[in-house]
Amino acid sequence: MSSTIGLEPVLGRSDEMIVNMGPQHPATHGVLRVVIGLEGERITRAVPHIGYLHRNHEKIEESRTYFQVVPFTDRMDYVSGTQNELPVVLAVEDLAGIEVPERAKMIRTMFFELFRIASHLVWMGTAMLDLGAITPFLYTFWDREIILGIVERTAGARMLPNYYTFGGVRRDLHPHFFKDVAEFLDHLEKRMPDYEHLVLENPIVHARTVGVGVLSKERAVARGVSGPVLRASGVAYDVRKAFPYDAYPEVEFEIPTSDAGDTYARFWVRFQEIYQSVKILRQLLEKTPKTGPFKGRAPARLKISGERYRAVENSRGELGVYVVGDGGDKPYRIKHRGAAFSNLQVIPDLFIGAKFSDAIAILSSLDPVFGEIDR
Amino acid sequence: MSLLNEVWQAVKAIGTGMATVHKRVYEEAPTEFYPYVELDLPPVSVQSLALVENEDGTERCIVCLQCERACPSQVISIERHRNPEGKGFLIDRFDIDLVNCMYCSACVEACPVSSIVTIQDFELSTYDLHTLKADIDFLHEQARRSKKWYSPKLGVEIRTEDGRIEKAPPEMQPGGLAELLKPAAEEEES
Repeated sequence: MSSTIGLEPVLGRSDEMIVNMGPQHPATHGVLRVVIGLEGERITRAVPHIGYLHRNHEKIEESRTYFQVVPFTDRMDYVSGTQNELPVVLAVEDLAGIEVPERAKMIRTMFFELFRIASHLVWMGTAMLDLGAITPFLYTFWDREIILGIVERTAGARMLPNYYTFGGVRRDLHPHFFKDVAEFLDHLEKRMPDYEHLVLENPIVHARTVGVGVLSKERAVARGVSGPVLRASGVAYDVRKAFPYDAYPEVEFEIPTSDAGDTYARFWVRFQEIYQSVKILRQLLEKTPKTGPFKGRAPARLKISGERYRAVENSRGELGVYVVGDGGDKPYRIKHRGAAFSNLQVIPDLFIGAKFSDAIAILSSLDPVFGEIDR
Repeated sequence: MSLLNEVWQAVKAIGTGMATVHKRVYEEAPTEFYPYVELDLPPVSVQSLALVENEDGTERCIVCLQCERACPSQVISIERHRNPEGKGFLIDRFDIDLVNCMYCSACVEACPVSSIVTIQDFELSTYDLHTLKADIDFLHEQARRSKKWYSPKLGVEIRTEDGRIEKAPPEMQPGGLAELLKPAAEEEES
């Protein structure tokens, strides 16, 4: 009976209370269930349980052709849209030797960064919701709405666009795309000071986050953490710089890092990433030709043999895919390496010793999305 | 001293918070009054699927089964038989399970004759999911109901007042077509 909840009561420790947090807890960002041992308000043990949103992505994708795989990947990390499609597209392009026009690469990168901003805005709203502030949530979703509108005008859907394809993107940009994005960036730059006032400079946020849930550099590396969580622990690893893809070699940006490793540092790094995304988008808006090819030549039927791992830096970290082709038009094996999944592995490290209310703040700073974790 | 400092910090935080919120009170609210005000969706927006008939009421679909093969969710099922008089095939059954469809528009891109199209109409809310198992009459009705639809091969098509099907003007075409045509038109004038 007790083994079903993952924590055995320890004999002689009657002061420990075992509490089930989730899977329907409003602050678990979906369907995470953490079984927590509590001594008063201190967490003594924590065991995360995942899999409530398991949809068997990898096996379904192995029974589909390469072209059919792409829309499925959208459904993994549903907050960051097209970012999920890119690893599969890159890996298959490498294996099949498909050329991508420069303009298509730039379009892809622009969408990638737009969704990074959208994803971080969602994180900002929901993290503050967890800490008890409702107003930032309303404002960030207001701004995210503009991004989704821009995406819909070109890609045809708001959250799950299925926009990238082998050799480029599916449709050319909307005529007003450049104007829309430039207007949005101006708008966002006006908004960012407001968000800093409401989030980063707020004393309540300081009290709840500074020094809470410190993740050391060694522990972060050992757990395979990536993305903003890793960079907040002082490791300047970013797939965009380490293994550049698409148009990233052509743009200049910095990797914001913090040595603190606490919850506030993870908040801060995500804020700086929004500024860096704005910087990348501004450069790409100037560089991208207004007209030109948006898709290279790709065969109608792909027959692929060989194996390839490609990774991208999505909003949560290193999102990778390992594709094995056996010469047929369907992949022999597809393995997704989810960033949020790896980031979730630090839960026992960070929760144990923290107070229960801090657990909520720590979890929101990890920014898990359960579509991707459970896959 | 530290208590005074804390009180000052709290007052300052409330002040900045109120000031930030106050700025937005006078901004236009982004609320959409959807059922009362119709949304103006871009023509490429994928909201539902439809099967277009020709103007004279004949079937545009040639039953090549490309959409069935392209569908990642495998929700399209078609049965056909050979046309006894003339070439090609005739439809026996054309079903799309709109419940399990994930609106990736792979079928629309696969269609060689732009028969299956995406429409911007999303008024399919229902209490009974069985009503969304669309057969061919349902899909034809969807096309008749909507004023414009999109397919990558033909772009946006519109239905005129008297029921004719026409290609939409370049301004309505996605992918910057209007922008592409503009410099060419200017050159002709000069």
